[in-house]
Amino acid sequence: MSLLSVKNLRVTFDTEAGRVEAVRGVSFDLGRERLGIVGESGSGKTMTGRSVLRLIRPPGKIEADEMTFDGIDLMRASETEMRSLRGPRIAMVMQDPKYSLNPVMKVGAQLTEGLRQRDKLSKPAAYAKAIDALNAVQIRDPARVMEAYPHELSGGMGQRVMIAMMLIPNPDLLIADEPTSALDVTVQAEVLSILDNLVKTRGMGLIFISHDLRLVARFCDRVLVMYKGKVVEELAAKDLMHAKHPYTQGLLNCLPRIGGTRQPLPSLDRDASWAL
Amino acid sequence: MLIEIENLSVTFTAHGRQVRAVENVSLNVKAQESFGLVGESGSGKSTILRAICGLAPISGGSIRINGKPITHNRAFSRQVQMVFQDPYASLHPRHTLDRTLSEPLAIHGLPLTDAAITKALTDVGLPPNFRFRYPHQLSGGQRQRVAIARALMLQPEILLLDEPTSALDASVQAETLNLLSRLRAERGLTFLMVSHDLAVIDHMCDRILVMQHGRAVEELTRDALATAQMKTEYARSLFAASADRMLEG
Repeated sequence: MSLLSVKNLRVTFDTEAGRVEAVRGVSFDLGRERLGIVGESGSGKTMTGRSVLRLIRPPGKIEADEMTFDGIDLMRASETEMRSLRGPRIAMVMQDPKYSLNPVMKVGAQLTEGLRQRDKLSKPAAYAKAIDALNAVQIRDPARVMEAYPHELSGGMGQRVMIAMMLIPNPDLLIADEPTSALDVTVQAEVLSILDNLVKTRGMGLIFISHDLRLVARFCDRVLVMYKGKVVEELAAKDLMHAKHPYTQGLLNCLPRIGGTRQPLPSLDRDASWAL
Repeated sequence: MLIEIENLSVTFTAHGRQVRAVENVSLNVKAQESFGLVGESGSGKSTILRAICGLAPISGGSIRINGKPITHNRAFSRQVQMVFQDPYASLHPRHTLDRTLSEPLAIHGLPLTDAAITKALTDVGLPPNFRFRYPHQLSGGQRQRVAIARALMLQPEILLLDEPTSALDASVQAETLNLLSRLRAERGLTFLMVSHDLAVIDHMCDRILVMQHGRAVEELTRDALATAQMKTEYARSLFAASADRMLEG
């Protein structure tokens, strides 16, 4: 049985300017694997990820024919049930550490908050666990980071703190929204291997949301390519470089390449029919 | 040499601890050249750009432009301008584009004309009717175009580019890089550019300095990068991590 099953997911916003359809009928099944969702900003990939946790504020509305996680109907679960799922069972790493960490709380206090409140750990035990989590994401000087405020960390460090925080309660499903876009290639590789390890050893499911096609091709098992709220192509990650859909091909072609010519990069010519 | 940086060190003091962000880094950039800085986060590459602009405390070494030690006065800002990484944070949210683009002219007592603002917008490929919009009414790529237009208002010789496309989508990144290349060719600009994406640096720069932990590791020409002729272990590992950005697949 799959861990997560989503059928015909729609996210709509009724605004003064009319109805905005952010996600228009997305379906997928996720096992204990790495599923990549790629697309440009505004393609609905983040909204798809947030819908699974029902983290969409009014006027946004989530509709789906089916959305079940490990036998639990997410569409019918009460707010209390949802709250018990968020964190311990399904965790989400948000895109921007600058806006997702509390700016007036030390990193250490934020990392240990859940452990103290939810798991009722003692202060030293929570501290030790938080240090372990920071070590696990390859932070060199965890004791200093515990005492730092978010603004004192670089983007990459902040992002790793967020990942550490999400992994502390050992979730079954991790939704990672651009978890490595603030990181540079070498650190990116380290963070990816941490995530990879969790999928392999603990059988965690991973939804990896990214705009970086090459990264997704290298790291995930399966990829959904989204455009204007729809999945335009689904394929095995290893076949991404041989994508059929002109949108996917266009996205690949406009990337610069090491050793390439200095000619202007091809731009993406959008076809109105892709959005239908 | 247009930009000469010799043994530059930058040290921050926080909570009584000293953080040495840049240590003894030297580099030279010729006029109309495009020079790239690469390295992991915290390697000090952005700090070098900020030190040039006077946004980071220089604790040792020297920075000279056209042979003269830099002083951060108005003449300097007419010569050197910076484009920041995050176009969501670098534009004033409550200023219209008109105000953002007029301000450099007003500060420098230059003639402020409608034509100047319209031309600044059209030069970066934005329609003139965007003039009275606010940043929140623009997409990320459009905002970065405004940030570039703002930097070019005073017609500087040197543009410092701090990860100018890393917050943008692939298709928008391509458009922005094409725009920067075109403006450099048209105006004979000198670029000092920071990026963590080796493919972007390779596409844009003639020479590259690889940095790690605040120190210069290795300087490479573009040819040496494309043919993987790096001498140090770190530069090689950085290159290996970017192998998927090579020309063939």
